[in-house]
Amino acid sequence: MSNAASVKNKWTWLLLTLVAIALLVFGGTRDTGPKTQSDRIDAITKVIACPTCQGESVYVSRASAAESIRAEVARQVASGQKTDDEIVAFMEARFGSRVLLVPRSTGLDALVWVLPVFALVCALGTLVFAFRRWSVSGSSTVSDADIEMVEQALRDAE
Amino acid sequence: MFAAGGINGALGRALLLIGIVGSLFGAIAAITSARQRDQAVAKLVPRFALLVFGASVGAFAVMERAMITRDYSLAYVQKVGSNSTPALYNFAAVWSALEGSILMWVLILAGYTLAVAYWLRKKMDDVLSRYALGVMFIVSLFFFVLSFGPANPFGSGEPGVFDGPGPNPLLQNHLLVMFHPPLLYLGYVGMTVPFAFAIAALVTGRVGEGWLLATRRWTLFAWGFLTLGIILGSWWSYEVLGWSGVWAWDPVENASLLPWITATAYIHSVLVQERRGMLRVWNLSLLVATFSLTILGTFLTRSGVLNSVHAFSESPIGPWLLAFFAVIVVVSVGLIGWRGDRLHSPGSIDSPLSREGAFLANNVLFSVFAFVVLLGTVFPLVVEALQDRTIIVGEPFFDRLTIPIGITMLTIMAIAPVLPWRKASQELLLTRLFWPAWCGVLALAGSVLVGATGFAPLLTFAMGGFAAGSALRQVVLATRRQGLRGLVGRANGGMIVHLGVIVISVALAASNSFTHSQELNLEVGKVASFSGHTFELVEVVEEKTERVFSVKARVIVDGGKAYAPAIARYLKQGMTVGTPSVRTGLASDVYLTLEPPVRPGSDTARIKVFIKPLLLWLWIGGGLMALGTVLAAFPGRRRKPTAPTSDDGIDDVLVML
Repeated sequence: MSNAASVKNKWTWLLLTLVAIALLVFGGTRDTGPKTQSDRIDAITKVIACPTCQGESVYVSRASAAESIRAEVARQVASGQKTDDEIVAFMEARFGSRVLLVPRSTGLDALVWVLPVFALVCALGTLVFAFRRWSVSGSSTVSDADIEMVEQALRDAE
Repeated sequence: MFAAGGINGALGRALLLIGIVGSLFGAIAAITSARQRDQAVAKLVPRFALLVFGASVGAFAVMERAMITRDYSLAYVQKVGSNSTPALYNFAAVWSALEGSILMWVLILAGYTLAVAYWLRKKMDDVLSRYALGVMFIVSLFFFVLSFGPANPFGSGEPGVFDGPGPNPLLQNHLLVMFHPPLLYLGYVGMTVPFAFAIAALVTGRVGEGWLLATRRWTLFAWGFLTLGIILGSWWSYEVLGWSGVWAWDPVENASLLPWITATAYIHSVLVQERRGMLRVWNLSLLVATFSLTILGTFLTRSGVLNSVHAFSESPIGPWLLAFFAVIVVVSVGLIGWRGDRLHSPGSIDSPLSREGAFLANNVLFSVFAFVVLLGTVFPLVVEALQDRTIIVGEPFFDRLTIPIGITMLTIMAIAPVLPWRKASQELLLTRLFWPAWCGVLALAGSVLVGATGFAPLLTFAMGGFAAGSALRQVVLATRRQGLRGLVGRANGGMIVHLGVIVISVALAASNSFTHSQELNLEVGKVASFSGHTFELVEVVEEKTERVFSVKARVIVDGGKAYAPAIARYLKQGMTVGTPSVRTGLASDVYLTLEPPVRPGSDTARIKVFIKPLLLWLWIGGGLMALGTVLAAFPGRRRKPTAPTSDDGIDDVLVML
């Protein structure tokens, strides 16, 4: 590949990256209008567990307890007085923490959030360590004896 | 003991007993002949495999016969049989509860044992073959004992029962129940084969590369079926459960996903061992992890320790499975430690920016992925044990953690296929990734144009396009060079699998992020509309059989065909189940459910409508993955193995040409 072509290539890459970032920022932050009530109900019921089912969310479950919670969520959303978080907090106050599908980030429950990060750091650390070791074992170091030998050989050659 | 429960019970138990004896003797014959190098005894080993397989087929057939003839002398038939279950669902009722599914496990495991014995029939003079079969027999012995003891489907039931409730209603209203469990089990149980060879290699000390190449297709076979089983399970969930979702991070789903994750990691990292002779301990550990996770998953979901919608029964098999899991882990870790000196591999990885480096990054991600899924699944148990409190780790947890992992995987999937072994220059990488990057940006621009929002879905589409470009580049180059042969073989078939994964990722991101739903109160003669579609109620009708009482609302979607979401009451179980009706389309599915209360003959109905963009592509992606797996199983172009020591440059020059 000629030098000019590779420079051009680099400029295209830069352009592609910039376009991608611009599109991401534009698409990721643009306002799509206020959420509909139905979307809010879906979002809220997805993080509340149905109290009589086994680990299913109210959104997923077809049980009657889930139906009534869904109706209550719909009523509160329709009245428009509470935010999504307040409605979830209301449900927690009413049924206890067993209706929360998302573990809390305090106390013992926080471990479920912390451990994956810890695992990732450990795994990456091991990988970095392995590459370090490989690069040390791979590239041989030159000792004084080696230099002496080469110099000797060069002298002999002259 | 054999008299109770009638002829089917006696026959079934006798056959299981034959299976136990056959497995025991098979294991003894295999292992003693391996230890004493006894050729005569070794010749017997395949015969025991045939005997054990015969016993398992017999036991399964007897169970089917009992189910089909409604032999209520058996407790199991009383539990899941019913006079009114239609023939197909009655056939599938055999694996609709714990005892029957363990019986199916036994059957499939015995099938694999026989297949391995047949495959090795001319290699029985090799000690490694004997040990591998010995391990297969030991595992079969365990499952036969499990089926004969704590999970016996041939136990006799209460006298005087002439009808039963039939299987869970959810397991008798969609044909997929015929296919999803057997295919999933073919994958799940198939992981025993590479595990058996791993143990045999450790015992014989021949931890070189020969056995790996030999078992590659077995692993691929099992992996393919596991993939297919998981996808069919999602499809079943979508078609039956009525919440319009395909995956709920339910413990049983997680239990099938965990071995899939470690097996996928293995399929990738084993390539590093084949080419470079490295990562031996890691690959053995992945195989052991895969197999032991199938046992642990079965323990978690079938012993009743975790709540799950799949846990249709609790039974005393928990301690057995846990003990077996412990034995597997202790023996495997012990063997790996004992053979530690031979496992040390020569060579080193020159640069992180190389094919091997990408495989390592892939493995780090897959390990973290598996850890997240396992942690989320068992964490409620930990909290309950320590603080005696019930918590739920639900879908939002898994979504939050796995979406970033998935996007990173797509990124690696884009870069890895263009990387050469050993070392890549930045120049080479940029040149090769040029068109794939264009694909990524175009995919991103296209999705922004059609109105997609949110960083995570947009990143998924962009990286999906990038990775698809990279996979397509590989396929195009290979077919240009070799014609249609460029589609077969591990590397090329693998790219088709990648395309399937990408299609699935995009479909998941689109359908999860951009689903819209709305409840509609429909009236006959009035057209309601939502999200660009129109809905018109035709009628609300009832259907009554001896088995089900169902109410259907016939709804015309977009002025075309009528769809009929229903609510069905299964009379024997007294259970009400909603049955959705779906209009599939390449752009989006329209998913309809009927909401209670329903009144037959009424001219109103409450319908919930879900618009699910790109959902159909999940199944198309699944089909691509299956196709790619088949293509990958065919032998591809022969390659010379890369020497384990580095000779910089030559490889780079070759791949540049």
